[in-house]
Amino acid sequence: MAQNPKPTTILDSLGEEIIRIIAPVSTCMFMVVLLVTVLNTDSSPNITTIASIVYNETSSDSIWDKLKGALLNSLAFVAVITVTTFILVLLFYLRCTKFLKFYMGFSAFVVLGFMGGEIALILIRVFSFPIDCVTFVVILFNFAVVGVLAVFVPKMPILVTQGYMVVIGMLVAYWFTMLPEWTTWALLVALALYDLAAVLLPGGPLRLLVELAMTRDEEIPALVYEARPVNYHEVDPRTANVARTLWRGRNSGSGSGSVEISDSNSSPEVWLSDGGGGEGIETRVVVVGEGQNSEVLPELLAPLVNRELEGSGTRVDCGGEGNASMDGWAIEGIGLGSSGAIKLGLGDFIFYSVLVGRAAMYDFMTVYACYLAIIAGLGITLMLLAFYRKALPALPVSILLGVLFYFSTRLLLETFVVQCSVNLIMF
Amino acid sequence: MESGQSIRGGGAESTTGIVHRSSVPRQPIWPTIDGPLGLSDEESLSYARRFFKFGFLLLPWLWAVNCFYFWPVLRHSPAFPRIRDYVVRSAIGFAVFTVLLGSWALTFAIGGERLFGPVWKQLVMYNVAEKFGLTGWY
Repeated sequence: MAQNPKPTTILDSLGEEIIRIIAPVSTCMFMVVLLVTVLNTDSSPNITTIASIVYNETSSDSIWDKLKGALLNSLAFVAVITVTTFILVLLFYLRCTKFLKFYMGFSAFVVLGFMGGEIALILIRVFSFPIDCVTFVVILFNFAVVGVLAVFVPKMPILVTQGYMVVIGMLVAYWFTMLPEWTTWALLVALALYDLAAVLLPGGPLRLLVELAMTRDEEIPALVYEARPVNYHEVDPRTANVARTLWRGRNSGSGSGSVEISDSNSSPEVWLSDGGGGEGIETRVVVVGEGQNSEVLPELLAPLVNRELEGSGTRVDCGGEGNASMDGWAIEGIGLGSSGAIKLGLGDFIFYSVLVGRAAMYDFMTVYACYLAIIAGLGITLMLLAFYRKALPALPVSILLGVLFYFSTRLLLETFVVQCSVNLIMF
Repeated sequence: MESGQSIRGGGAESTTGIVHRSSVPRQPIWPTIDGPLGLSDEESLSYARRFFKFGFLLLPWLWAVNCFYFWPVLRHSPAFPRIRDYVVRSAIGFAVFTVLLGSWALTFAIGGERLFGPVWKQLVMYNVAEKFGLTGWY
């Protein structure tokens, strides 16, 4: 009496996939909000970074000055990011993968060790936690080194890798919330627009990167968060590797999917991939964004077959279960990693969290509004991905909705709520 | 006893058709906690060994990750004899290190100045950070 597979509902498949990407995004945002509320007082330090080299905002400037300064700052930042991304494309083109991997490991170490250490020190000072320096150094060292390993080593435990991605995103996001206010908002909008351009325009660096990676069938070195895939059946261990590419390839009847991964220094992108499984339709949505620090998540490449891209000249070869040779697969994008799960770039995590962190600096009402806006934006992006099946930027929709909600909450909703409360009408 | 049980199990499968045993398809046991997404048997051995050796560089957390990663090995010990050695040794190493570090940290935190005298002020982290100016942002 064989066990019948449980009938899977849409909640199990699609819902589970979405939850598995929304949960870490929410965790990251929540932790940044927590850090911001605990650590930020009125005297928040102003850091000098790339994002504020042009103009350093002080509270005594006029509104016009602040606006001009913020725009200049964000333009400068976007320019730097564009240049860096083009350099990344160039390095990738010249196959300097080792260097890129090394650079990513190094940046992960810097973020975890130095930024993590500084934030830990600030927390220790604020709470007067009686830890001694020896213990602190040992713990920090462990944390940072295992984090670098999680990024470098191809097969660390999934939970550990995911955890470290979220932590890195949180640390960088917190650091970004220390920018002056007007600069932050201008920067977010500028990055959303840049992302749109970089991914969709033909000359955009991210698009170039994706296409390069696709034609070469290589993985783009980047920091990406990969969600655990939703499995309905056990993959036979012996043929696991082969099977993974296989059922990705069996898109034949089920409307196939494409997965693209594109990662570049600062553009989040969204990829969608649908894999037809052996027994059922399994939808894998891949959202890939990109990380601030590009880092390779060395995972097995599992090329996907995309029927949709037939026109664009990629070879499509959908073999049956028997002939799975890597060469035969049409690569339309960088594989989803070994298991066809959703991937979201770290840049997305970071900028979503920056937005919510900044909202937290004003009031919790804006936090709730921005959180809902971002999650809604993420959902819309996923839907667009399912619809268009090509690389899409993940930042624009969420960020623009978030900014819109922030300003309307701050300017309109708050007055309404406060007046109602004060007059004891509701709330 | 084992053979008896398996025979019984086999008998149950063939004759009565009841039971749990017959309805559960044979599932392969994976050495890693990620199951089919994780490592194969051979890779697991090299990973376990490498994690164990690297842990000696003052990295007990790596030992803990090793144990976490190969948790099924600890649970179904007989199936993975060689991997199990490394994982058990990692677990012991982690436990020992944690006990040592924990006791030192607790003594430091609870004992405080009464126990250590003025040295405590020099060792505690927030003072060290102040001394070296580590908490300033650049």
